[in-house]
Amino acid sequence: MSRINPKFGKELKKYGATEFNSCYNCGTCTAVCSLSTGDDSFPRSMVRLSETGNEEDISASLKPWLCYYCGECSSNCPQTANPGELMMSLRRWLTAKYDWTGLSGLMYKSLPATIVAMVLIFAGVIGYAASEGFDAEKVMHIGHYFEMFAIAGVFGVILLPNLFRMWYFVIFKPSRKKTAGKAESETEYSSRLTNLLGGIPLRVYLTSLSDFFLHMFTQKRALGCDDNQKRWFEHFILVIGYLTLLFTTVFLDWFSSENMFVIILGYLVSAIVFIVTFDFVTGRIKKNKEVSKHSRPSDWFFVIWLFLMGVTAFLVRLFIDFNIIESNFWLYLFHLTILAQWALIIVPFGKWTHFLYRSFAMYFDKLQKSAAK
Amino acid sequence: MKKKLGIYICACGGNISDYVDIEKVKDAVKDEDCVILAKTTMFACGDSNQKDMDADIKANDLSGIVVASCSPKLHLTTFRAVSERAGLNKYNYVHANIREQASWAHSDNKTGATEKAILLVRAAIAKARLAESLEPIVIKSRRSVAVIGAGVAGLKAAISLSRMQDEVFLIERENRIGGNLANLDTISPENISGKELLIRLEEDLKKEKNITLLTNSEVVGNSGNIGDFTLTLKISGSEGSTTKDIKVGSVLVATGFNSYIPADGEFGFNQIANVITLPQFRDILRNADSKKFVFNGKVINSVAYIYCVGSRQVKGENKYCSRYCCTAAVQASLDLKKKYPDIQNYHFTKGVRTYGKQELIYKESNSAGDIYIQFLDKKPPIVTELDGAISIKAGDLLSEKKEIEALADLVVLVTGMVPDKDTSIGSLFKLPKGRDKFFNEIHMKLRPVETVIDGITIAGTCQGPKNVMESVNSALSAAAKSHSFVSKGELELEPIVAYADKSSCNWCNACSDACPFNAISKIEAEGKEVASINKSTCKGCGMCLPVCPTDSIELISFTNKEMESMIDVLAQ
Ligand SMILES: Cc1cc2nc3c(=O)[nH]c(=O)nc-3n(C[C@H](O)[C@H](O)[C@H](O)COP(=O)(O)OP(=O)(O)OC[C@H]3O[C@@H](n4cnc5c(N)ncnc54)[C@H](O)[C@@H]3O)c2cc1C
Ligand code: SF4
Ligand code: SF4
Ligand code: SF4
Ligand code: SF4
Ligand code: SF4
Repeated sequence: MSRINPKFGKELKKYGATEFNSCYNCGTCTAVCSLSTGDDSFPRSMVRLSETGNEEDISASLKPWLCYYCGECSSNCPQTANPGELMMSLRRWLTAKYDWTGLSGLMYKSLPATIVAMVLIFAGVIGYAASEGFDAEKVMHIGHYFEMFAIAGVFGVILLPNLFRMWYFVIFKPSRKKTAGKAESETEYSSRLTNLLGGIPLRVYLTSLSDFFLHMFTQKRALGCDDNQKRWFEHFILVIGYLTLLFTTVFLDWFSSENMFVIILGYLVSAIVFIVTFDFVTGRIKKNKEVSKHSRPSDWFFVIWLFLMGVTAFLVRLFIDFNIIESNFWLYLFHLTILAQWALIIVPFGKWTHFLYRSFAMYFDKLQKSAAK
Repeated sequence: MKKKLGIYICACGGNISDYVDIEKVKDAVKDEDCVILAKTTMFACGDSNQKDMDADIKANDLSGIVVASCSPKLHLTTFRAVSERAGLNKYNYVHANIREQASWAHSDNKTGATEKAILLVRAAIAKARLAESLEPIVIKSRRSVAVIGAGVAGLKAAISLSRMQDEVFLIERENRIGGNLANLDTISPENISGKELLIRLEEDLKKEKNITLLTNSEVVGNSGNIGDFTLTLKISGSEGSTTKDIKVGSVLVATGFNSYIPADGEFGFNQIANVITLPQFRDILRNADSKKFVFNGKVINSVAYIYCVGSRQVKGENKYCSRYCCTAAVQASLDLKKKYPDIQNYHFTKGVRTYGKQELIYKESNSAGDIYIQFLDKKPPIVTELDGAISIKAGDLLSEKKEIEALADLVVLVTGMVPDKDTSIGSLFKLPKGRDKFFNEIHMKLRPVETVIDGITIAGTCQGPKNVMESVNSALSAAAKSHSFVSKGELELEPIVAYADKSSCNWCNACSDACPFNAISKIEAEGKEVASINKSTCKGCGMCLPVCPTDSIELISFTNKEMESMIDVLAQ
């Protein structure tokens, strides 16, 4: 049994879902959603959980991550309850819920907080550069190391614990609820380890890994949405482009590289990143599709910073090739600021995390379904 | 003088002729005594056949016709009208049903169907030979109507009748008019309060010269019949009560409804503090402080409404939906929120029925953040006290039937409508009641405001749950109907009625007991007690005939002689 908690709805409004209250449970949204299935039926069920404020079931649910925001449900809702945006808001809320630092929630809900954080990082970058006397070579050298450490640090301190929390809410806690009151020997789980792993045998964890990587790199599921081929393709090459750019700059040290292949690869992938994100940004400005109609600050920061990262990286390398970077050192500082803000704010606490959570959601979903069999 | 009969046998486009050999039927009856002409036709009811019949009657100077076709339920009036157009008294037309009774009933046996059809037509011919011309019974009708009950239905009906220049007696039991309307706040749809509406009606009422308003009055006696009822009224005043007789041509009953009162313990009613009914909630809200909503010394921050209390009962008797209460509850919750915006409302419904325009307030309430829970028929909500608040638990159909709980400071039972607890009017006028115990109309769709008692119409919620608009609709239509009974000053009634032979009757009460319409009374005649049948009230149903031990009752147009002649034919 769960007690209705009307405060949850009010909280969720701060994450962007403002209209879901007018839902009258007709189920049209679920009927038109091409990703909803008999076992995983949504978004109406999630609208309902939100309306009744069932935080526990929402925290344990993977459904928000199974939605790829095609917007069909919102276009067809007779009450204009905007279930698609509700699913988006639940993803934001879940991101905040998984985040042990609480900073995700703070930034999702408060634009000023995000701006303050951005300004602080900007000041930090400029301050550091000033302390080095704006020595281009030195700053660029450190900048490169910064990128490496930032990635490792953010991953180890923030993202990994958060993924663990996600696992805890989705897999472990519900399994404990099921076995509550039973002695270990009475549970249906075959071994102590399985019990510790939330009722799912280790074997299943391993055999399901292929699914995890498949979804992480292809977002294959998004193709299930109607008329979504273009958007899926753009998103696909953006992910590949972004990951390759990351690899090229961090591990192949693109900015200092002499290798022709690396240089051209860097140009190519940074161009992909800014061209695709340019299209995304204009889409959000034009609001011509359901998915781009309701942009929150977190959405804007994500696409704009990605765009700026692509552009500035491209220009920095171009300036290096034309040998004018030292006289235009501001460009590198701009790039570094964007990079630092991206790595320290947007990646750990912003929309970037959806890349991880979506992939893990598919993985956990697979785990649950395999274990149920 | 010997009758001259014309016989028409219908093929019903094959419905009859596919199984009944209608030519054979025609040949079998064409030489019967009195038959001048016999014809078959593709569609007896068709325009061209109607014209042929008209011409035949005139050309042959027919004094009777027999139509053998479908059930008389379908076309009795059609062929009566044809007869009258051709100058033939309509009671000289006799009907034989050879479709439902022969072709459809015996589609597996064509020979048998044909033989039966022949017999049915012959029997009809036998009756037609004896049939007599009849004239409608004409009775005088007083140009006045009694309207019982001055709720919104009674008021609108009275005003409407008065505007049609009928004399109206508006009889109200209470000392004030308006009925339940007087206590209503916002009536949905439209943002108007019951009180405002009542003020308007009172102003209208004052302008009407033809209305005599009698408050503190009850009807205690009734005699007479359509066109001429005598009602005895008991009027209470400060110096005791007086009685008074009024005479009217028609009676319009608008005695309204009562709100259902939950049983002790029904959803915690009368057992848990702060469990109240919707009408009580309305009263409390009206008088509540404007800053904080306090009830029973408790600040109310959340309210749960349980719908369908006393209606749509799975176990109880009230199976019907009370129609008004979903809307009224949503409206009350909106009014509450308007006054105290921070209050949280929970609605436990069986499925919301804010039909028509009222849907808009449902949407408004939904968007304002009210939470709707749809409980299952078989598992009504469970109301218990919990830490100084009230817990309401129910399986929620919208949450995959999972059990869900709300905590509230006040629980409002959304009570439905039940008939007025005073049943005297129903017994006095012998008004039939439906299974729901509200008064019954003749036909729900086709004759919605008439009762089987001639001259008595029903309006408003005494007939069944209605909202204000529906009550007014039915009131205006009942007024029009009652007006039609009295407006001409006289009424034509069906002449097919029963009469008792005074010489053979030795009053035994059997017929009077059998009569469903109270048409038979005991009188003194020829030095003894005998039965007398009121021809204005008798409906010609025939119930009294078979029970009479001395065979003293005849039914016009279905006399013993006529029936026996038919039986003789059929029994051959
Ligand atoms: C809490 C509540 C909220 C409501 N909200 C709405 C709303 O928002 N919108 C809406 O459309 N409707 C609403 N309704 C319904 C509305 O009240 C009714 O539709 C309407 O009042 C019915 O009118 P009526 O004339 O048929 O009956 P009544 O109002 O019951 O009038 C009957 C009258 O007949 C009198 N009477 C009864 N018996 C006798 C007798 N034997 N002799 C003489 N007089 C007699 C009674 O004293 C009474 O005055 C609500 C009802 C309730 C209880
Ligand atoms: S389509 Fe709209 S109203 Fe219908 S269930 Fe979905 S969200 Fe609710
Ligand atoms: S946005 Fe698309 S995928 Fe998501 S719930 Fe709605 S219809 Fe389904
Ligand atoms: S109107 Fe609503 S509350 Fe009233 S009986 Fe019908 S369904 Fe129940
Ligand atoms: S025919 Fe019917 S209505 Fe007439 S007196 Fe006999 S039982 Fe009553
Ligand atoms: S049943 Fe016959 S005998 Fe008896 S009262 Fe009636 S008419 Fe007279």
